[in-house]
Amino acid sequence: MKRAGLAGVFLIAILVPFFLNQYWLHVAIISLFYVMMASSWNLIAGYTGQVSFAHAAFAGVGAYTSGMLALYGGVHPALGIIAGTLLAGVLGLGLGGLCIRMGGIYLSLTTLGFSEILRIIITNEEQWTRGTMGLQIPGVFSVYSKTHYYFLFLAVTLAFLVLMRRLLNSDTGLAFRAVLNDELAASTSGIDTVRVRLMAFTSSSAMAGLAGGLYGHYLMLITPDIPSLGQMFLVLAMAVIGGMGSFAGPIIGAIALEFLSEYIRIYGEYHLLLFGLVALVIARFAPSGMVGLWEKIWRRR
Amino acid sequence: MKPVLEGRDVSRSFGGLMALHRVSFQLFEGEIVGLIGPNGSGKTTLFNAITGVFPPQEGEILLDGKPISRLKPFQICRMGIGRTFQIVRPFLKMTCLENVLVGIVGKDEKGTSREERVEQALSELEFVGLGGQSHRLAGSLTLLQKKMLELARALATRPRVLLLDEVLAGLNPSEILQALDMIEAIRVKRKVTIFWVEHVMGAIMTACQRIIVLDQGRKIAEGPPDEVRSNPRVIEAYLGGADA
Repeated sequence: MKRAGLAGVFLIAILVPFFLNQYWLHVAIISLFYVMMASSWNLIAGYTGQVSFAHAAFAGVGAYTSGMLALYGGVHPALGIIAGTLLAGVLGLGLGGLCIRMGGIYLSLTTLGFSEILRIIITNEEQWTRGTMGLQIPGVFSVYSKTHYYFLFLAVTLAFLVLMRRLLNSDTGLAFRAVLNDELAASTSGIDTVRVRLMAFTSSSAMAGLAGGLYGHYLMLITPDIPSLGQMFLVLAMAVIGGMGSFAGPIIGAIALEFLSEYIRIYGEYHLLLFGLVALVIARFAPSGMVGLWEKIWRRR
Repeated sequence: MKPVLEGRDVSRSFGGLMALHRVSFQLFEGEIVGLIGPNGSGKTTLFNAITGVFPPQEGEILLDGKPISRLKPFQICRMGIGRTFQIVRPFLKMTCLENVLVGIVGKDEKGTSREERVEQALSELEFVGLGGQSHRLAGSLTLLQKKMLELARALATRPRVLLLDEVLAGLNPSEILQALDMIEAIRVKRKVTIFWVEHVMGAIMTACQRIIVLDQGRKIAEGPPDEVRSNPRVIEAYLGGADA
């Protein structure tokens, strides 16, 4: 049953480009980017209970690393994206190493600070990044085709999700959840809680770097909006509304909100305000999000 | 004979409060030792000092003669000290099986397959009487079951010394009898040395060979149950002295 459902979703995902026009295909590609972002953020926030505000910043690290390597060094985007992923991971390791021991609110504040610092650097180093005007960078394919990009994003997203799933089902994933459930009990049961949280933070940061790198080479124009807090809160809203701590939640949240935001685009930036409000209400009244609500309704019948 | 677990002049204060003052103790292989004292006398603080949650500021704690007081809680667990908590702390949103698996993963023994680990976890659950409950969420268990689950998780780390913090509190008389059998089985069959904090006096007096009494962070008595029971300082600590 579950397997059949997954196969169905996969089939639909493959057929998507043959039914959507160019505009909606673009929306589908962007929503795959957000699936990666929200899912990997969920890895730290939902599974180990650490709220990081640097996730968009790490996507920015990925996008700018790969973009600038391609533009100034002629490095192929495939290699550039790997470099961006690694750099985001290394920065995550450093930042996490600094503040993970403090935990809770300190991690949130430090990542918030890091995120703003990065955005300001990118905005101001105009000779390299062209600041808010954005940097034009080469794409992945020599001939531009949205269908190609769609399949690239789909393949990477699937690989990404399979990897995450395996991680969560492993001993490491078990340790993640133990730390989230009760840090003291986990540590007296032999779990190295600092290492576990650092591992979650580092791998999640690297994943954001990967998503950001791909995103940049798709848009072919990277701006400080990628590592902005607006972007961060959108990812946060997607994970919270979809359902934090569940595997499907952020995936559903990302696709739903990205498509929804296209419909309410005419209201400009107000859609962020709306998502923020909805996320607040959900966090207060249905902390396990849409997935949690759905399960509740299902059980009641 | 060398002690398995030893504390030498262990002190710990919180702010101006001296929670433990130069407490020394020794536990020998296969022993079951009770730790009693009025509320706030430092029993749980001593357990927290041993497990590295709040390490001692002075003094030394040794496991098999090796100092452990500078180690982190997870390292101390891996060296062979398991514990349960006064207020139960199972992983509520995880299944019973997963709860116990955490202890096995935590112990971090190389070369065991996933299947072997699951098998070990299931046999621990069986041992504490939670055989049929492996896929239930810990949050949905009764208090007794939660306590037993915590015990199984602690046993899964294959401890040499087990610290039990009020496992009998809140249990009814028949449950207490069950739990006592369990503790005796852990000591005898699993060859685990047990250090046991309890307020249920009757039970601890019959089960333990030796009792240590704390009052206001100091050790005021130690010896066989009968001796401790008639010790005037112990009586004074429990019933209040002339100044109370």
